[in-house]
Amino acid sequence: MATNTSSNRTRFRLYTLAGFLCFWLLVICIRLVYLQVFCYGDFERRAQHQQQRSFDLSAKRGVIFDRAGRELAMSVQVDSAFIVPSETPDLPNTVSLITRITKEDPRVVLADCRAHKTFCWVARKSDTETIERIRTLNLQGIHYQKEPKRFYPKRELAAQVLGYVGTDDQGLSGLERQFNDQLRGKPGKLMISVDARKHWFASVEKQPESGNSVVLTIDQNIQYIAERELERGMQESHAIAGTVIVENPHTGEILALSNRPTFNPNIRKEIKNEALQNRAVSNIYEPGSTFKMVTLSAGLEEKITRPDEMFDCQMGSIVINGMRIRDSKPHGLLSVADILAESSDVGAIKVALRLGDDRLYKYIRAFGFGQATGIELPSETRGLTKPVERWSKVSIGAISMGQEIGISPVQLASLISTIANDGVHVPPRIIAGTIAPQSTPQTIAFQPAEGKRVISSLTAAQMRQMLQGVVLHGTGRKAVLEGYSSAGKTGTAQKVDPNTHAYSKTKYVASFAGFAPINDPQLAVVVILDSAVGLHQGGQVSAPVFQRIMQQSLEYLHVPHDVQFATSQQTLMASRTVSESSLDEGSPDRLGSTLDMAEAATTVPLPPVETPKPSPIAEAIIPAAILSRERASEAKAESTSGATSGNHLSSSPAASVPASNNPTTQKLPSSGTVVLDVQEGGIEVPSFLGKNLRIAIEAAQDAGLDLDAVGSGVARDQMPQPGAHVAAGSRIIVHFGR
Amino acid sequence: MSRYISYRDFDWFLLFFILMICGLGVWQIHSATEHTKFAGAHIKQVYWVLGGLSAMFVVSLLNYQALLERIHWFYIGSLASLIAVILFGQKSLGARRWVKLPWGAHFQPSEWVKLILILAVAKYFADLHDRELSWTDFLKAGAIVGFPMLMVLAQPDLGTALTYLPVAVMGLFLGGLRWKQGLIVLTIMGCLVPIAWVKVLKPYQKDRLTSFMSPDADRQGSGYQVNQSLIAVGSGGIFGSSQGSQTHLSFLPEPQTDFIFATFAEEHGFVGALGLLLLYFIVLMRLTQNAQTAPDRAGAFLVMGVVAVLTFHILINVGMVVGFMPVTGIPLPLMSYGGSSVLFMFLALGMVMNVRMRRFVN
Repeated sequence: MATNTSSNRTRFRLYTLAGFLCFWLLVICIRLVYLQVFCYGDFERRAQHQQQRSFDLSAKRGVIFDRAGRELAMSVQVDSAFIVPSETPDLPNTVSLITRITKEDPRVVLADCRAHKTFCWVARKSDTETIERIRTLNLQGIHYQKEPKRFYPKRELAAQVLGYVGTDDQGLSGLERQFNDQLRGKPGKLMISVDARKHWFASVEKQPESGNSVVLTIDQNIQYIAERELERGMQESHAIAGTVIVENPHTGEILALSNRPTFNPNIRKEIKNEALQNRAVSNIYEPGSTFKMVTLSAGLEEKITRPDEMFDCQMGSIVINGMRIRDSKPHGLLSVADILAESSDVGAIKVALRLGDDRLYKYIRAFGFGQATGIELPSETRGLTKPVERWSKVSIGAISMGQEIGISPVQLASLISTIANDGVHVPPRIIAGTIAPQSTPQTIAFQPAEGKRVISSLTAAQMRQMLQGVVLHGTGRKAVLEGYSSAGKTGTAQKVDPNTHAYSKTKYVASFAGFAPINDPQLAVVVILDSAVGLHQGGQVSAPVFQRIMQQSLEYLHVPHDVQFATSQQTLMASRTVSESSLDEGSPDRLGSTLDMAEAATTVPLPPVETPKPSPIAEAIIPAAILSRERASEAKAESTSGATSGNHLSSSPAASVPASNNPTTQKLPSSGTVVLDVQEGGIEVPSFLGKNLRIAIEAAQDAGLDLDAVGSGVARDQMPQPGAHVAAGSRIIVHFGR
Repeated sequence: MSRYISYRDFDWFLLFFILMICGLGVWQIHSATEHTKFAGAHIKQVYWVLGGLSAMFVVSLLNYQALLERIHWFYIGSLASLIAVILFGQKSLGARRWVKLPWGAHFQPSEWVKLILILAVAKYFADLHDRELSWTDFLKAGAIVGFPMLMVLAQPDLGTALTYLPVAVMGLFLGGLRWKQGLIVLTIMGCLVPIAWVKVLKPYQKDRLTSFMSPDADRQGSGYQVNQSLIAVGSGGIFGSSQGSQTHLSFLPEPQTDFIFATFAEEHGFVGALGLLLLYFIVLMRLTQNAQTAPDRAGAFLVMGVVAVLTFHILINVGMVVGFMPVTGIPLPLMSYGGSSVLFMFLALGMVMNVRMRRFVN
């Protein structure tokens, strides 16, 4: 029988074997528990580590809009090429072929490729042409990835405000840096599964989340005006640096902020450090005479003096505590208003002495000096304001005329805005708000920061009147506007020589801070030119820049001309300008500014925006001014009506055909005035076809059109078609495709 | 001796579990080879299994006792086939293991030699009857297994050669090896191993044999397979990783053959691996039971020979996958892809069925 064939011994040994088998199974199970339960996490990580490579995909950075929703900084999708070295059969050859196109050092790239076996960028955010050339090589192991690239369509416009970004889209300066967290968005993940032979298997992407957009208070067109006029002022004065700030004094909105030297944020390699500095907020300088506004405001507010009180200016010399201070020009008896107009140091010191250290210091602080304005720009300075305990015996003399104190241009803008805004200080702001990606910027309503009264409105009104005097008959005569009243203060501060620590005899900071119109100031403008060569007084070099910027900006904003405030003196000067310019001979002298204005209208390329061209305006105003001398009352009424008519500028019949390029003239017989329809002649739409996105945007910019880009690649279609005439600033829809 | 045999006595229970394991194997091969150049291997595996099944039925009809009577002819034939491999074999990866057959298939004689050895050892020990082993018996039994083993080693195919060992060990152990003899043999072996280590083994073989002890020492080199296998098993966790990325991204070498247990453990986790081991355990236990109910000593030895080979394969293969054993190229029986292996298993099972169906005969 079967059972008999096995002996007991064999049976025992069978059980031994079975036992051994069970034991082994148990050991294996324990091992499996150890591996799969206790070491699970570790092995999971190791598996992922060898199977997956993840690379950050930069998110599309938010747009920086101007106040009207025009893109100042945007991101466009461009191709980047990367190499997978393990897939590339002949790595050195491939690298050398590519670097021949990208013009990079093949050795560096090759070393990089060898260091990263699965992934290495070879052409990061390159232009379409480069990528196409690499594509046509049809190399093995080269892959492409779309990445957003920062692009500044307006190039140098507001460069220091915007800043720029690095290769990885990180903000390196300006708002790009300050608002990096909001703009950046959340980077996506490019997941690459790599198999054992280092082949690419699949790439799973976590989509990057676009960053929020930032809307500025900057108005692109005013910014253009500021940039252009500052540039011109720089050239004329041979200054080494300059700053212009245009602010809405009621709300604190910065409408334009321009600095020189400047840079093109699109060309990173050419950016120089000194150009990056946003002087408007980070430059500390001694303000000089513009600071007398503080001294005199304080004096008036404390009621220790009146605008018409007479001071003996001691023929330009005063001794305080044993130190003699000299005026640049000797003055005898001057009213307080004239102290400001003539910028008499002695007069200002006398007012300050009457105030005393403490009260003067109180007003210095109240106007916001010695503390940051809180503008949303990086590296803002507080300025240098010594507390009163550290004042020397002569400090009050120096400070009252703007020495021994360091301020930033934006603080000066704040000062002039406070005076313009009836004595209420509204902190300057440059950010209107941040908005979610894809939403329209128009939804933002700017909320001005809460104002703080510094001086009474009576004092402010007195100051405004006195400041108008500066323009009308004082040092700021070159700031006279056409058709607008204006006010302001000149300043010429000696620079401190960094070597000798003494005041330089040759280097000056020429400044002008002013606002217009007088009664309801719409804009405050600060112009600061550093180290002008030749003419170097604030009234000589900065005031004309102020005049041009203010004039054009007010016209652009359709601010009604306030001829009713035009005094006989202003009218007289305007008429003399006309006579001189009609004689066509240059006697720039104190009235040169108006000539310059006419020149500007004809020679300087106009900003490609929907600004009404200054030339017809300028020419239209001058006769109005003549008229106002002859028939002042009539002119008053007309200009008021013209102002209310929006796009239409009205003028008297005498100026019926002021500009030849105005396409339509409309006669309104009822009132006997001619309404000029200042329509742009229409811009001929250029052809964008075949251009890549960046070139197309630049071309559109040059033509004064807004580009609505759809898709990516090369322009294939556009609406309206090339050759069509459209209004300036119209949107052209361009379809891009591969 | 009655001619009465019936499929009622066929071990359907065993067959059920065998086919279950085979089914899991086919499924796993499919998963492991998807999107690779081996895609479709699972279909071939199905054909092998079907072929194996029919071979099993054929073999189960033969009378194993009659086979054992003529075993010396088979034995000589198997030696001849091994010599043929050495002379005419296909050289691949530095070893001659395969003979090309006319219809395009490859045949690995060392697999079916295993079967012959099981029979030969069973016959030898059955003839010894129930007496204690003498040293002459021991040496004879050793020689029966030793010759073909040496020939396979000469191919060289260390892994397969080692699978002959359990046949001899099982025979000796059940055939009445005295404990004293066992100790002496083990001592001699213990002395021989270091000599063999130095003199016989090639460096790559040594590397393969030792790398499992420190898989992290050379992750890209000799430790690569063990390392990847451990990562695969470990990343499976308790319930398995759905992607089975170790396998699918080809980190795991030969996922459809030697490391199929690793891919299974990765995709089905600890629960799956434990289940699979349980299936094997059931099969082995059932086989052992069959050995106990064998009609004669030769039948019992035959079944236990099969158990020995099967156990050895499982031990070594699973041990290798979990990092206990060196990587020796021993497939997991019934699951690993490969015709020779599948055919051998089913032929061996056919022998077991053969024995079982005759348990009430005599």
